[in-house]
Amino acid sequence: MYLPSGVYHETYAATHGWWQTGFARGKMALLVLFVFTLPLYANLYVVSVANITLYTILGALGVQLLIGYCGQITFGHAAFIAVGAYVTAMGVLFWGLPYPVAAVLGCLLAGLWSVVFGLPSARIKGFYQIMTTMAAQFITVDFIITHYVSRVGGREHYFSLPPGTITIAGWPVESEIEVYYLAVILTILCLAGMANLLRTRVGRAWIAIRDNDIAAETMGLNVVYYKLLAFFAAGVLGGVAGAVWIPSLLFVSPEHFQLSWGLWLVGVILIGGIGSLHGVVFGSIFVTGILELLKFAVIPLSEFYPALSERFLYVKEAAFGLAIVLFLLYEPRGLAYRWQQIKNYLNLWPFAY
Amino acid sequence: MAILLELVLSGIMVGSIYALVALGWTLIYKCSGVLNLAMGELTLIGAYVCLTYYQWGFPFPLALVATLLTGFILGLATERLFLRRMIGEPILAVIMITVGLSFFFRALVGFTWGTDTVVFTPPVFPREPLRFYGMVFGQVYLWSFVAAIVLLVVFVWFFQQSRWGLSMQATADDEMAALSLGVSAKRVYALAWAIAFMAAGVGGTLLGNINGLNISVGYLGLLVLPAVVLGGLNSVPGAIVGGLVIGVLQNLSDAYVGKLTQGGVKEIAPFAFMVIILLFRPYGLWGWVKIERV
Amino acid sequence: MRRLVLWMVALALALPVVAGTGWAQEIKLGSLNDMTGPTSDVGKDAALGVREAVQYVNDTGGINGKKIRLYLYDYGYRVPEAITTYKRFKNFDKVVGVLGWGTGDTEALSPTVSKDQIPYLSHSFSAKLTDPKTTPYNFVYGTDYSSNARAAMTVWFEEVWMKDPRFREARSKGEKPRVIMFYMFPSPYASAPIKALKNHAELLGFEVGPDQDVSLLALDTKSQVLAAKAFRPTLAWHGNTTMSVAATIKDAQALGLGADHIVNNWGFDEGLVRLAGPAAEGVMGLAVTAYYGDKVPLMDKVVEYSKKLNPGVPQEARLIRTVQAWAQVHMMAEGMRRADKAGKLTGPGLKEAFETFRGWTPGLGLPPVTLTATDHRTGSVIPVYRIKGGKFELVKQVDLKAKWSKQWEGEWFGY
Repeated sequence: MYLPSGVYHETYAATHGWWQTGFARGKMALLVLFVFTLPLYANLYVVSVANITLYTILGALGVQLLIGYCGQITFGHAAFIAVGAYVTAMGVLFWGLPYPVAAVLGCLLAGLWSVVFGLPSARIKGFYQIMTTMAAQFITVDFIITHYVSRVGGREHYFSLPPGTITIAGWPVESEIEVYYLAVILTILCLAGMANLLRTRVGRAWIAIRDNDIAAETMGLNVVYYKLLAFFAAGVLGGVAGAVWIPSLLFVSPEHFQLSWGLWLVGVILIGGIGSLHGVVFGSIFVTGILELLKFAVIPLSEFYPALSERFLYVKEAAFGLAIVLFLLYEPRGLAYRWQQIKNYLNLWPFAY
Repeated sequence: MAILLELVLSGIMVGSIYALVALGWTLIYKCSGVLNLAMGELTLIGAYVCLTYYQWGFPFPLALVATLLTGFILGLATERLFLRRMIGEPILAVIMITVGLSFFFRALVGFTWGTDTVVFTPPVFPREPLRFYGMVFGQVYLWSFVAAIVLLVVFVWFFQQSRWGLSMQATADDEMAALSLGVSAKRVYALAWAIAFMAAGVGGTLLGNINGLNISVGYLGLLVLPAVVLGGLNSVPGAIVGGLVIGVLQNLSDAYVGKLTQGGVKEIAPFAFMVIILLFRPYGLWGWVKIERV
Repeated sequence: MRRLVLWMVALALALPVVAGTGWAQEIKLGSLNDMTGPTSDVGKDAALGVREAVQYVNDTGGINGKKIRLYLYDYGYRVPEAITTYKRFKNFDKVVGVLGWGTGDTEALSPTVSKDQIPYLSHSFSAKLTDPKTTPYNFVYGTDYSSNARAAMTVWFEEVWMKDPRFREARSKGEKPRVIMFYMFPSPYASAPIKALKNHAELLGFEVGPDQDVSLLALDTKSQVLAAKAFRPTLAWHGNTTMSVAATIKDAQALGLGADHIVNNWGFDEGLVRLAGPAAEGVMGLAVTAYYGDKVPLMDKVVEYSKKLNPGVPQEARLIRTVQAWAQVHMMAEGMRRADKAGKLTGPGLKEAFETFRGWTPGLGLPPVTLTATDHRTGSVIPVYRIKGGKFELVKQVDLKAKWSKQWEGEWFGY
């Protein structure tokens, strides 16, 4: 922990602080101010991009927990986000629950469902885990949700949520700005919660399992219990992501939660940096931002090459695939590592180390 | 009863194509330890490349040979550009490179050729079905089966009898020892990828002949994974048997289990089956058994 | 010199403002199309048709002198894109009406467009969109899928089962015809008419076999055809789009299914003939307008504009979907003209204008459209076609209302 000269702590509690210098605290206060006043001076389009970024952060948080902090590989996270979203939607539409209650129910069910598919982790690792989580994705979304759940109430595969159906204590969450505030609050809570969780015994157990699960077992950790706990926590975070995503949609359908979204989230983690919470945020901002910039870059180019704008979806996917590959080849520890390096450089300048 | 036999036999015929693609996957894994999740997209590329040659007027056997050559070159290029640097990196990074490649290839194919179904015109195989003891088979299935079996035999012979094949086996068995004997690991990896591209390309072409080609052929690549899990990750006969079993399983599950559910069983049956296999026999039928219980 | 430059800069900046006021006489129209997704085989052609038709409307006087400004976006049949595009129509482009595409997103958006009061004229003919009590702001330009399916089944029953010598023996033994339906279960479009079709099958005395799930992108339908073969059907209904219908029909021929085929309108076009080849001979199906190149009023303009605006696309590749898009755009334009003449070119005004249509048709082989405030079904006269020698010929026209007037007014309405 880098502390400039003149800064010292007088109590043990102070040494545990997240932001230990006035400078860091000031930075964070400015960031919070910026984030909360963004809708005042940014246009609606920027707010909607911010919404997508926040949704990606929440989704990637669950994946980071499993892959980066617990060492369990998961490609099927989109399925748990889907469970959260669908349970919340059904709660609001069919069971008449208020939105916060339905959201909590969605998170719990997503967590439990995730535990079910985390059970094989007691026996298998690595590649096989990829297979089981992919199977979880297919069975949950492509089978159960597509064929059974989405026919509930005769809604024929899409649940309609016209703006105004979702209200928190009488205040309707319908426009982009209201969704933005909801998402920001929940994201901050989740990030803070997870950061603190990782400093507790549970977090340390997860990191031990990630580093060497056999050694962790020999030290007396109940590895199976902690692995399932990790799956539960990831499922709950996925449920939060799903619950936050629905108010900005006009209808929910299984197509939002396909395998490619789960793979996308893993890609976000890798670009941001595995095993770091900063990485989640940086990765999400990078991926969402790059894709929006790509849209702007393509518009003038499509004068010369009209296929670019017609088939823009493919350009987006190709760019994302290429970004993952290039990051893995040239920056394998991700943007968070690069951020650390830059901070170190600035802190230590003009010295090299 | 005749229907059951027809289902099983046509499942075997399509399964032979899956077996071909699974063989390519297993080769890559055996020789270099790379778990390739881009297999479906390799199939897609090979199929569209063959279609392009065919549309340019090459007769079909020549188009097939041209596809093999193109696949060979693409395999070498992919390995050199993307995977050479990843030797020794953690397993997740390598898998994610192949995932990134799969996004990239699929987008490239979609961009260049669109999502419409295209057929080989004029049709390569005659359209008249063959009748055989009351069962009906399209000729295209039979010819695809024959082609897949021939290629399988060729690849297995290459792997077991030729010098390059033996080098690949040596690298797969113990890389250090092979290196010390003068085998070039780089060439082996490149060759593994080249063979995978070729196998996938031919598999895609044969699939495309059956009813037409569109971008959904890429999802077939995911089906290869249950096949190799069933057969054992590093076993060549396991991959072949796995492919055949998955082909039959798809047909049977769609026809029989599909009656009980509201549909959609065909796509997920192989995966559900795979989960069950993983719970009871995770190393598949022929895979190397590594006991690691925690 | 500096003053000259300053004046020129000021003039350059002022010019768009001045010119911009000229553009205030534009009427904004949004269009959702699928050019890259699972229905793009028919969607691309329709998108071209929409652009050409709007250009034609603008060239021939526009909406009482005002031009239409078209915002056409590709959403790839993907739900998330449909949502973002609709929000864009509402918040940024501020359109008066929307030309929609797919059944799933149209049906799901219908509560929202009712709330936002934006008329939505879709290419989806789902019967659920025809009841103003539940979907007041949804409109269609042709007869709905359920009525079409009923009509196709009726025509096959009357013209083939009752008259064809192949079935004489079966009829004399008192056997019932057997039908099986091939469609994509989770697709709202493909599953839209199934309930009505099964109801009609019961009415006419068919035996209904197990439904077979065929994906819109399916290439291999052997197992579905083999499972159907066990039921020995005499008739097969295909609810998907051209690509998968062609695959199923080819597989049916290769595996000897032995059934006649009737196809929903989005699977029955020139593309089917091209993809299925000789297997498509004798297949019956539905079409909501005349085929591309037929001798009907306004077809010459369709051909002329397609050559003018999209010379890169060969004429043989153009489908009936272009004609359908022209019909859709003309209906929207006519509604806008009537609303504008009444002085109310807004969402609710446009809705009222649509509901004044009585027997209107732009030509193009579209059956006359009649819409009222209580019934958004455009009509009850439905033609059924057959492929003969690679060309489409009319088999018969059915008037469902005349045949079953009680059910038409009563229980059949709205599904």
